Amino acid sequence: MSSSERAKILAKYEKLLTPYSTSLVAEFHRSASAIADLVSDQELSQWAEEGLDLARQSWRSWEAAGEYFRATPQMLPMLGLERYRRWARYGRELAELSSALAASYFRTSSKTVPAATFERLGDLVELGRLLYKGTWRSASLAVQFFDSSPQLFAEMSIDDVRVLVRFVDALCDRSYDLASHCLSIAPHVLKPLGDEDRSTFLQFAESLAATGWADARSYLEKGPALLAHVQQKQRVRFLELASELSRREGRQAFGFFSDAARALSTIDPDSHGLLLSLSEELVERSPIAAMEFLKTAATIVERIPLDTIADWHDEGSRLLDASIDGGEAYFRLESSRGEDMLESLSSRLDLSRVSDILRMYGKALTGCEVAVHSSEALAEKGIGWVETESPSTEGTAIFLPPWIEEYSDKERNFTVYKVYCTHQAGHLEFGTFEFEFETEGAIFTNRRNEFAEARRAAAPPAPAQAEATDTEAADILEADEQPTEHVPITDMERFFDILPDRKLASDLFAIAEDARIDLLIDREYAGIRRSYTDRQTIELAKRPSIDKLPLKQAFVENLVRVSLGGYDTMLWPEALHPIMHEAIGVIEMLRQPQANVEDAAEATLRLYELATGIPNIAPEIMEDWEEFDSDSLQSLPMSADSLGNSDIDMPQGEQMPYESPSPVDFRGDFKPETVQMLMKLRKQSQEEGPVSPISPEQLKQMLEKSVEISIDDMAEANLTQSSDLFLTNLIKELNQQAQDKDDKKPAPLKDGQPVTGDSTGDDERELPPEPKYFFYDEWDFRAGDYRPRWCRVVESAIADGAPQYFEQTLSKYSSLVHETQRQFELLRPEMFRKIKRLLDGDEIDFDAVTDYAVERRSGHTPTDKVYYRRNKVERDVAVTFLLDMSASTDEEIAKHEKRYQQDDFDDDPRRYFSWWMARRAQELLTPPKRIIDLEKESIVLLIKALETIGDRYGIYGFSGYGRDNVEFYVIKDLEEVLSDKVKGRIDKIAPVRSTRMGPAIRHAIYKLDQQDAKVRILFLVSDGRPQDHGYGRDRTEKEYAIHDTHMALLEAKRKGMVPFCLTVDRYGHDYLKQMCADIGYEVVPDIESLPSRITTLYRQLTT
Amino acid sequence: MTSSDSTYRQYAIEEYTIDYEPFYVPVKDEVELFLSAYAQKIPVLLKGPTGCGKTRFVEYMAFKLGRPLGAVTKANKNGEHGRALITVACHEDLTASDLVGRYLLEGDSTRWIDGPLTRAVKVGAVCYLDEIVEARKDTTVLIHPLTDHRRILPIEKLGQIVEARDGFLLVISYNPGYQSALKDLKHSTRQRFMAIEFNYPTRDLETNIIAHEAGVSDAVAADLAKLGEKVRHLKEHGLAEGVSTRLLIYAGRLIHEGIPARRACQVSVVWALTDDGDVQRSIEEVVTSIFE
Repeated sequence: MSSSERAKILAKYEKLLTPYSTSLVAEFHRSASAIADLVSDQELSQWAEEGLDLARQSWRSWEAAGEYFRATPQMLPMLGLERYRRWARYGRELAELSSALAASYFRTSSKTVPAATFERLGDLVELGRLLYKGTWRSASLAVQFFDSSPQLFAEMSIDDVRVLVRFVDALCDRSYDLASHCLSIAPHVLKPLGDEDRSTFLQFAESLAATGWADARSYLEKGPALLAHVQQKQRVRFLELASELSRREGRQAFGFFSDAARALSTIDPDSHGLLLSLSEELVERSPIAAMEFLKTAATIVERIPLDTIADWHDEGSRLLDASIDGGEAYFRLESSRGEDMLESLSSRLDLSRVSDILRMYGKALTGCEVAVHSSEALAEKGIGWVETESPSTEGTAIFLPPWIEEYSDKERNFTVYKVYCTHQAGHLEFGTFEFEFETEGAIFTNRRNEFAEARRAAAPPAPAQAEATDTEAADILEADEQPTEHVPITDMERFFDILPDRKLASDLFAIAEDARIDLLIDREYAGIRRSYTDRQTIELAKRPSIDKLPLKQAFVENLVRVSLGGYDTMLWPEALHPIMHEAIGVIEMLRQPQANVEDAAEATLRLYELATGIPNIAPEIMEDWEEFDSDSLQSLPMSADSLGNSDIDMPQGEQMPYESPSPVDFRGDFKPETVQMLMKLRKQSQEEGPVSPISPEQLKQMLEKSVEISIDDMAEANLTQSSDLFLTNLIKELNQQAQDKDDKKPAPLKDGQPVTGDSTGDDERELPPEPKYFFYDEWDFRAGDYRPRWCRVVESAIADGAPQYFEQTLSKYSSLVHETQRQFELLRPEMFRKIKRLLDGDEIDFDAVTDYAVERRSGHTPTDKVYYRRNKVERDVAVTFLLDMSASTDEEIAKHEKRYQQDDFDDDPRRYFSWWMARRAQELLTPPKRIIDLEKESIVLLIKALETIGDRYGIYGFSGYGRDNVEFYVIKDLEEVLSDKVKGRIDKIAPVRSTRMGPAIRHAIYKLDQQDAKVRILFLVSDGRPQDHGYGRDRTEKEYAIHDTHMALLEAKRKGMVPFCLTVDRYGHDYLKQMCADIGYEVVPDIESLPSRITTLYRQLTT
Repeated sequence: MTSSDSTYRQYAIEEYTIDYEPFYVPVKDEVELFLSAYAQKIPVLLKGPTGCGKTRFVEYMAFKLGRPLGAVTKANKNGEHGRALITVACHEDLTASDLVGRYLLEGDSTRWIDGPLTRAVKVGAVCYLDEIVEARKDTTVLIHPLTDHRRILPIEKLGQIVEARDGFLLVISYNPGYQSALKDLKHSTRQRFMAIEFNYPTRDLETNIIAHEAGVSDAVAADLAKLGEKVRHLKEHGLAEGVSTRLLIYAGRLIHEGIPARRACQVSVVWALTDDGDVQRSIEEVVTSIFE
């Protein structure tokens, strides 16, 4: 080997390579010198020859050659000559396909080979070739693959990569962009996955690419994060399940994957295995059911204990065997059976299930109108209450937690509710909020004035005097800003005003008053005593340890325990025991049946006096924490005023800020000051005339002072803003209640809203009444079950129009009106009908007596039934008309007939033109009649007729779109009397949208059911089949809607009503037969005859 | 026409008198009012919810008004006796002939028999038409001539007019609560009566009544009265009528017989009052709150 030889070779090839690119030569040169020591001359020239071959291959293959040369210095030492050749051969083969591929291959090899190992190199190249389809897009994808292969192989095995490539390849059929994107993110997103998960993850990806390729990107991007929700051990199973579903159900697979993963994220990971096996069990029969089962699992687990989920599953599984649709609806939580099952498995007691019972219970106890709502509702009002889970009251309603799940059975959970409710009702029943400052207590002597005196004396002198020397202008300014002395709005406020430490006072009052209430309840309601004591014991167990509290707080805490009857849990420094004794004595005094709320206030004063004497020092300072022995509790100082024990030496130490004791759950949020204020405001707004109007400023002052409302809790804005917000909420709340009152009493409230000045109050009054919402089940004939609370019916009154329409229609049809009226008059009520052949009656029927005599004479045994009686037949009919206001009623009636005439004109354009002109003129004069117009006219005629005979009737229209928005328009409510307003509404009947009949019928049934009448008729007037968005499996399905409507009509029948359908759809016969099986219906063939037909039908129905 | 030795006693309708003082606790001045009305021959209308003591009051008054009345009277062992009291429970099929009388077939001929009203008029008894609004309107018109200065009863079918004997007093009762507006008393009828309004007694009074009538301890009676008060709060809110004193007494009697209090209240108050499940449950909760 000589250097000249070598130089020759180099020179030769440099020359040969020069035509391709100068950079290629440079690359060659650099590489050659780098490997000079590793190869023989022959090998070198062979190497150079290969490079040259590459460069020659196609017009841009010199690039690949360049990469080949460049990679050599690294690859050759790494692989050794033998393997190096193979490596190079792979490259050449690739170059035959595409030089870009080869270039990329060579370029990345130095990294790929160590990652993938040399043995896998062939596979790798194979995968690259797989992606290349001969197009430039596929080439660039394959290049991308080679470029990213170092990263890919760093993370995954060749098998995984193979799946990934297959996945990407499958996507190529759809979109190269998508495929390229997925490939580019793959290394990054797949990195966090474990080895085992990854291959399953990719397998699912592959099946996804085949079925729901559009989701591939989201899956790849979000999948790993979602998968992380699933317990590690179960991920493979989960993915296999998902793949299985994607094979069976196609496109929904990704949705399932993400929903189910999210659902599982909220469930204890240890139960994932169980859930998955339950789901797997369903796949065979219905993939959808399996899917829904997992998707709703989170909701289910929230409702029922985990160990009963198998029961839940089994029930559904049984249903699935009977009917696939039924089972699927069950797992989708769209069936009543599902609801029932959940309810029976769940131990949780929802307030909504028992609120009616509790409401009546509260009403019985207190004798006042008490509503029962969820505490959430109170917090939402933003009027001072923030707790969403503790019971409370604001004077007119009792607020309770939305559900209770403390015990494993509903029965005991109910007792929790009952105790909560009883305590709150106790506040109302035993007059907590009727506190009057001037009223004497029944037990304690009145020391309120004494305290008030002391407070006044201690108050700083009014600053106005000091600034008297200022200039006049400043004086005036000053006078404006100077708040006038605040007059307490309520007696409760006045009471708290006399005590400097309002927080302490408020806590003590709460303890004293709650102790009083609990005692009264214990006395009055022996039956609830046990559950009440249970509650108290539970609460006692939850109390914080006393000797960890600063001294004053420990004092208050002890009082809380006393009020709960937990004497043996008290702890107090022995040296200070006398003080505690005295305090207990005060509470015990309250435990007398005659104690009233004023006594609680007096007790507060005494406790307050004791408490202010106690420094709030760290508990460590005291060493002699002692329990109370029962003997010492026997001899409590029980006289009403024995407070003289002030000569005890109080320990000294650094005072800590006072904090309120932790709340007692069953007593809940107690806000006497706010409640009194609310009650006062309420009273004022009801009494119309402002007795002593409360200004918003006054309110604000009170709120800022009160410790019951920590305004910063409500909004993190500045004080003024949030208190303004509070006021607005408050006024809104009061108006709402005033409006409720309005609804009950027809007499409208005067504008003089005492609290106002604020515009929100007035504006609200003018708004149209809020629509009312009702929920109804819908019949799913496939599942053979109701979908619970499926449709929302929005009831609102139709807008007012011109009452003239009514009269105009009447005069238009005057002859028909007369005729129907005459017919209806014949139906007049109060007919007397003779009932003959009675054993006993008013009169003797002479015909019968004659028979009697004849038979007797002729030796027969005569019948004794010879009396008759007149029975009054009272007409007692209530009828509900339900008008279809769907868009199709907009259709013109005359359209069809007119078209036929066109044939007459054949070829004569002039005749046609003149006809057309005439018709236009005619149309302008009298607009073409639509179906809805006839419906309206029929209604007018009916009203006229119905007024004649005095039947109760209601007229409603319905339309809407979708199950959440079934619009139900009140034209005339059953109780309403015919007024100009009603007549005006008829004018406004107009076509709206779809026809979801079922819920509209159900709502009409609900309305009619409240009527106490012998004959109740539900009269449905429509122009076609029921149809709506989502009223059926897909847009074209008609079965579902017809079945639901049929079921709704049957429901009416079951309630003893007479449903009747009248349609103007001339093709109505085919579906009405099914929809109105066993139910009366008629198709009015000649649409114009609707007005006369409808009245005739009505007459026939009711007699 | 009594048969005191047999297992039952039967009376001709006009001979039935109240001979032992019924237990009645006056709530206000209703006794004086009734006596004055009787003296002045003013018919009396008793208004009030069911089971609050209207009928008992009439019995009590009939006893108080008692005095010798010839053949019709008989005396108890103290020599006291009540006024004859004829009670007619009205129903919607009550016809005029049910009150006045009718012909009956007897063999080939007919026989007239007097109705209860006619008998009361003839003997001068207190005639008590209970739940008058239930009767048909054409029936109620019949009593009009009896209720004004005329005090006569025309018997159309006989072509007779019967003058009311001294001592005859017409008393009617009705319950303004549960009857619907359809069944209101006609003004031409109601304006012929003086009206005494009854209501449920106060808790203390009711405690007394229950204790006496049911023979239970005062504590139990007080609890029952408390229950009564609480349940009456529910009137118009699920309940058409509050629980009557009568029902509370029944509950008391059952308790007296040894039925546990909660059960006794359930059967005699809760289930008797309503069929509505929710309302039942609510009342039951009140019961279980009050009784152990």
